[in-house]
Formats: sequence, C-alpha cells, structure tokens
Amino acid sequence: MESSRFIVLPAPLIHEAPEHYACIGREGFHKRAKSFSYEQGAIDPVNVYTPILILGILAFGFAAFSIIIATLTGPKRYNRAKVDAYECGIEPTPQPMGGGRFPVKYYLTAMMFIIFDIELVFLYPWAVAFDQLELFGFLAMALFLFNLAVPFVYEWRRGGLEWD
Amino acid sequence: MNEVIEPNLGETLVFWICGGLAVVGALGMVISRKAVHSALWIALTMINLAILYVANSAPFLGMVQVVVYTGAVMMLFLFVLMVVGVDSSDSLIETIKGQRVAALLLGVGLTIMLVAGLGAGLSGAGTIGLDAANAADGGNVQGLARLMFSDYIIAFQATGALLITAAVGAMVLTHREYWQPRKSQRELSQDRFTDGGHPGNKPSPGVYARHNAVDTPALLPDGSTSAISIPAPLRARDDARAIDVNDITNVRRLTEGESE
Amino acid sequence: MSGSQFGLFGNDPWWLVIGKSVAVFGLLVLLTLFTIWWERRVVSRMQNRIGPNRVGPFGLLQSLMDGFKLAFKEEILPKSAHVGVYWIAPVISATAAFVAFAVIPFGPTVSIFGVETPLQLTDFPVSVLYVLAIASIGVYGLVLAGWASGSTYPLLGGLRSTAQVISYEIAMGLSFVGVFLYAGSMSTSEIVIAQEPIWYAVILLPSFLIYVTSMVGETNRAPFDLPEAEGELVGGFHTEYSSLKFALFFLAEYINMVTVSALATTLFLGGYLAPWPLSLWESANTGWWPVLWWLIKVQLFIFLFIWLRATLPRMRYDQFMKFGWKILIPISIVWIFIIAIARLFRDSVSVTNTQLLVGGAIVIAVLLIGSWLFQLRADKRDAAAELELDERRARPFDANAGGYPVPPLPGERFEYTSRRAMAAGTVATTTVAVAAPETTNEEAPDA
Repeated sequence: MESSRFIVLPAPLIHEAPEHYACIGREGFHKRAKSFSYEQGAIDPVNVYTPILILGILAFGFAAFSIIIATLTGPKRYNRAKVDAYECGIEPTPQPMGGGRFPVKYYLTAMMFIIFDIELVFLYPWAVAFDQLELFGFLAMALFLFNLAVPFVYEWRRGGLEWD
Repeated sequence: MNEVIEPNLGETLVFWICGGLAVVGALGMVISRKAVHSALWIALTMINLAILYVANSAPFLGMVQVVVYTGAVMMLFLFVLMVVGVDSSDSLIETIKGQRVAALLLGVGLTIMLVAGLGAGLSGAGTIGLDAANAADGGNVQGLARLMFSDYIIAFQATGALLITAAVGAMVLTHREYWQPRKSQRELSQDRFTDGGHPGNKPSPGVYARHNAVDTPALLPDGSTSAISIPAPLRARDDARAIDVNDITNVRRLTEGESE
Repeated sequence: MSGSQFGLFGNDPWWLVIGKSVAVFGLLVLLTLFTIWWERRVVSRMQNRIGPNRVGPFGLLQSLMDGFKLAFKEEILPKSAHVGVYWIAPVISATAAFVAFAVIPFGPTVSIFGVETPLQLTDFPVSVLYVLAIASIGVYGLVLAGWASGSTYPLLGGLRSTAQVISYEIAMGLSFVGVFLYAGSMSTSEIVIAQEPIWYAVILLPSFLIYVTSMVGETNRAPFDLPEAEGELVGGFHTEYSSLKFALFFLAEYINMVTVSALATTLFLGGYLAPWPLSLWESANTGWWPVLWWLIKVQLFIFLFIWLRATLPRMRYDQFMKFGWKILIPISIVWIFIIAIARLFRDSVSVTNTQLLVGGAIVIAVLLIGSWLFQLRADKRDAAAELELDERRARPFDANAGGYPVPPLPGERFEYTSRRAMAAGTVATTTVAVAAPETTNEEAPDA
C-alpha cells in the first residue's frame, strides 16, 4: 500500500450514474449509455488515446512518404535564378542583418492572445461545472473577467488594437 | 477493497518515450545555435510533458499545456524573435553581474524542491488513486473547477492581476502614439486625387524578356519611356535599367507606318 | 454527468482500432479530393464557367490527377532556406490537420462484425479542447514555413497568418463556452447527445454565428484569406514551396476546412442527429443512417465556405483585425455573461416571466439612457477638439518652437519634400538620358 501509485476504483464509485444524464436524450441513448459505460469501469488512458497515435502515425507516414517520393519522381534541372528567393521577377531584396525586423504590433497581438487564451482555459471548467458552482462561481468569474477587461479597454482606448 | 496495481506496459512505454523526448528537447533547446531552433526544441518538450499529464489521468491539464505553452507562449517567443530580427545570434557577453551564480543557486533550489516533492509523493501518504480523484466531482474538469473556485480562488484571482500587469506592461512598452488622427479610406482616396496623383493604374513595366522585366521602363506609343512604370522601390534603389535605343527607333518606325 | 459516455471508448479490439483509424484517414483524403473538385465546380458555375469536367465522370478525378502531377514537378529548394525546418513545416501542418479529426463523431453506436462500437475514433472528457490544442500545433506549420523559406514574402505571409489564426482562435474558443455551459461537458459525443431536445445553433444563435465567422478566419479562407493576398504577398507562407510539399499545405488547408465544418456540426447542428422532419421517422437516429445526416451537414458548411469565396472580396488587414478584436471578442464575452445570468436565474433563483420582462426592460432603459449620455459627452469633446484644430490651422507652423525641433501637431501644415519623389526624379532622368532624348509625356512622379 505504501508505494502505490495506481489504485483501481472501489466498485460503487464507478457505478454511480449521475441522475442529470438520464433526463437528456430519448430512451435509445439512455439505454446504450447505461449498458456500456458503467459496467466497463474506469477509462484506460492508453486505450482511449491509441487511435490518435495510430492516426498520427498514418498522417505522419503519409506526409513523410510524399516528401521523399517527390524527391525521386521530380525532375532536377538546376538554374541559378530558380533557387533565388521569389520576388516576382526582380532581384531578391538584400536582407538586412538578422533577417529583418517586424512591427512590434505582432508582439502585442501575441501578448493579448496569451491573456485571452488563459482566460479561455479558466472559462472552460467554469462553464462545464457551472451548475455545481452556482452564484459564487459566477461572481468569481465575473470579477476575473472584469480584471481582464481593464487592460483590454485600456489598450483599445489608446489605439493598441489599431492596425495600419 | 482497494487493490494495488502496477502501471501496465502502455503506461511504462509512454513514460520512457515521452520522458526521453522531453529531455532531448530540453537539451536541444540549450545546445541549439539558432534561436528559432531552440524555440522548436522547447515546443517538443512541452508537447511531451502534455502527453505525460494526459497519461497520468490529467487530460485537461495536458491539453491546457499544449494550448497555453505550445500554442500561445512559444508563439509569443517566435514573434519576439522575429520582431528583433530572426537570425540575430545571442550575445555571449554577460550583462547582469553574477547571473551564473544566481542561476546555479536557483537550480540547486529547484532540485531540492523537486526531490522533496517526489519523495513526499512516493511515500504514498494519503493517496486515493487518480481515477478516484477524478471521479470525486463527476470528472476531471469538474474536479478542477471545484478546486479552482473554492480552495484556490485567491490564486485564481491573483492570476487575473498578473495578466493585467503583463498586458499593460506590454502595451506601455510598445505603444506608439499617433500624432494625427488616422485617415479613413475616403480621406486617403480624396488626398490621392486632389493632389494631382495618378488616377488610374500606372503603366506596367516594359517586358522584353531580357532582364528581370519589371526593372525596364515601358515604352509609350510615341516611343518615349515611362519612368512611373517602374516600381518605386526599384527606382529608389537605382535598380532600373536603361533600354536599348534600337527598340525605341523600331517602335517609332512601326508607329509611323513603315514596314520592316 | 461526465464519464457517462467514455466507457464506450477504448474498448475496441485492436483490429477495429486500426480499421477505424484507416477509415478516418481515408475519409479525410477522399473528402479533400472531393472538396477541391466541388469547390472548383461550384465557383465555376457562379462565374458562368463549367469547371473541370474532363478527368473521370464529371471531372471527379481532376484533383487526384493534379496530385499526381505535383509529384512529378521539380522540387525547388531555395538557396536561402533553412533546410531542416523547411522540410518539417509541411509535415507538421498535414499531421496536425489529420489528427485533429480524431474526436469528431459521425454516428451513434453500430455493430461492426459483431462488435458494438461508436462511430467515432475516440473521445475523452476534454476532446473539444483537444481540437484547439492540435490547431495551435498546426499553426507552427505556417510560421515555420514562412521563416524557413528565407524569403521576404513567405516570412511576411507566415507572420500575418499566424497573427490572424491566433486572433480568431480566441473568438472561436469563446464561442464554445456557451455550448459547454449548456451541455455540461467538453466531450464531443456527449455534446451531440445533449442536443437531442434542441440544436445549440437555435438556442445559442450568437455563439453559432461567432463560431461560423471565426472558423473562416481560422482556416485562412476568403474573405479572410489575407495570408495569401496575391496582390500583396504572392502566395503567402507557401510561396517558396513546390511539388508535393506544396500539396501537403493544400491538403492541410482543406482538411482543416472539413474539421472546422465537422466541429460546427458537432457543437451546433446536433452532429449526426437527424434534422427535424426526418427525426419523426423512428429509426432515423439508429444504425448507419446518422452518418448520412452528418455528411450532409458537413457538406452544407463546406458549401458555405465556397459560396463565401465566390461572393465576397478580400478584407483589408486592419479591418480584419479590428473585426476580430473589437467586434467578435467583446460580443462573445458579453454573450457569455448573458447566458450565464440566464442559466443562474433558471437554476437557483425563482423568477416569474413578468419579473424577468420588467428586469429586462429596466436593463434596456439604463443602457439606452447611458448611451445617450455617452454620446452627448463625446459630441461635446469632438466640438472642442474641432475648435482647437481650427485655431492651430490658422497659425503658421514653427518647426523650431522654443528652440527645439518639434513635429507638427494635428492640423498644422508644413512643406517637405518626399523622399520617394526625389528618388523617382533621379531615376527618371538617368533612364531618360540614355534611352530617349525627347521624353515629353512623363506624368508627375507619384508623390
């Protein structure tokens, strides 16, 4: 018991069907859900994710195969102009040292993306468990969103969201 | 009652493969010379950590790891690399004094913390198992939500405050104030015509299939050349080419009705 | 409520797991080939053309043949390319596109060779989040392709498309929140079943519209196809890609289109559930029939994509970003609040319809009065600014006010020579001097 990391559920925990589920759906679905899910026990993570792995291997194999086969089937006729960077026919623009700089706007966009991404990550469990969290959960999320709205409005008002 | 089971073959394989790849990614990040390659290596580490979370019955955390770290944070890194110039190499001069010592101390501190945490975990005090933990609130996500909005509510709100700081900081550092109100499309088009600008399409460059075409001016019907047919950047760079005088005489001859 | 469906998954025998994976893979390849053909045919019809009709019946094999043709095209490796990353980028794009499809349900449980199995590759409690996670890995394909080409246009295109995809990913993610709130789950199969009483497209119409808009932006399709704005950026991030590497990007784009359409079907149009008149038929939701309903719904979305492309002109980049950040995101957040409050009232507070209506009326009245006051203030401020501007226009601009060189304030004017005009002038003279001595009809260089 001391060194245990993986413990199988005690049986009653698995069989406890939440009553919320029964009200959804017609008889057919209800029956199917009942006869398949709870008797089977907990999810085996490896089995659930194996199909993704197989699909990934298929897709990766297909992509790698395409790239390799194209090197064999395609003709090879060297031409100096052909391997130049394509700029509609003019001589490629000389690149400045360091590969050129970009508007700092992109940085700001990425920063806003992170902030909203984290907001999303908090919103999802909140939405899924909304009924259990009740009023307190709602108020906590409202405060959080208000907090995030502050920089958003500030940025909007100062023209940080304008692109030109 | 509860029965102890060993991790099955699949879990063991996932742990060793993903753990190994995560370490490879971390090493690659440190060793790479190009900053973009480092960013890619660290993305590999993040994805493998995510797979390990998922294999340990924390699917939400695993997905969030990919969405937030691989998708958002690493993308910010890539953007920053591009903003400052993609290929600029790191300067090896230490600008902060004693940063090596500080890094070493922090590294040792982190190691102690990890070992202590791992030791506490392995001693097995009060473990109920991953599945039971997930089932307690009706699911992995629901359990997380309950904890987030009860025990960790302060941390949750503090995250909000941290995000404000980050957003406003980024905004203040990068902001450029506009001196003039931005012109609308209508104003721009009005400016273009009232100042006597070219109203229609400019003539396309001369195409003689001799050079890079766009750098040769177009010949107008009377045999003269049109400078505005060359793109402005080429004109600015003095890259426009002269055209052969014979071409002009030929065109003039043709327009005057002479046969060749 | 969660966990109820998951017992269905992860119990297939190994041959069925492999069979289903191959089937999904094949389905995606076939759908891509079909969609390319279908798009070309539909766009042709909308432009009074016929479109590809030579290869195979109705030209159906055209895209397959185009694929073969690409395999026999020369691969051009630009000399400025960063070789390793240049090769990996299309593989990342294509693999991510395929893998994202794993959690899409096409039908209920059926019997395949005596094994009862759901018509879905896999599902777990966070499968919608999984799609978002894979999408964010797919973005790497774009940004790396742009960087690794070592060329100006692809770099600009890659950066632009990344900024675009991440901006619209937020709006897309926010539109899911309503669905999760109503379904109480993030698993695709549970969300489909939860829609049996009514589709979420009906009760969560704003979420649905936001999703449909952002899915077009997310897949870089017209009218949001700015990364491929030919007039500005040539081909965007894949300008330097040729042969099958280009084909992989093309494949990824079309699979992404199918995936976002399938996700829209799953989250908002009841997935594989039969639409209303058909759902009256007893066995419409059993056996293999639902696959047909699913396919029809997905094809409707794909047709929408094509229709948009044939109809709308491309947006300008600043308008596009403004639309994402200033319209879609704020509306999503406000909408989330509205449904959360509605849900809260329904669940925990007992209110009568009259109370609800009176409350709504009060809220609307407050908003109206508030906006009126706000407008009044804004008008006053604008008038003051106008007055100041007029004052400034009246006096001459002093470039050395107070002894320091200063830029002109709004409204002040000063004379300057454009650098472009100067450059154009010099070129005009040199060109003219060599080639044609009597240039007469030169127009003023563009200033």
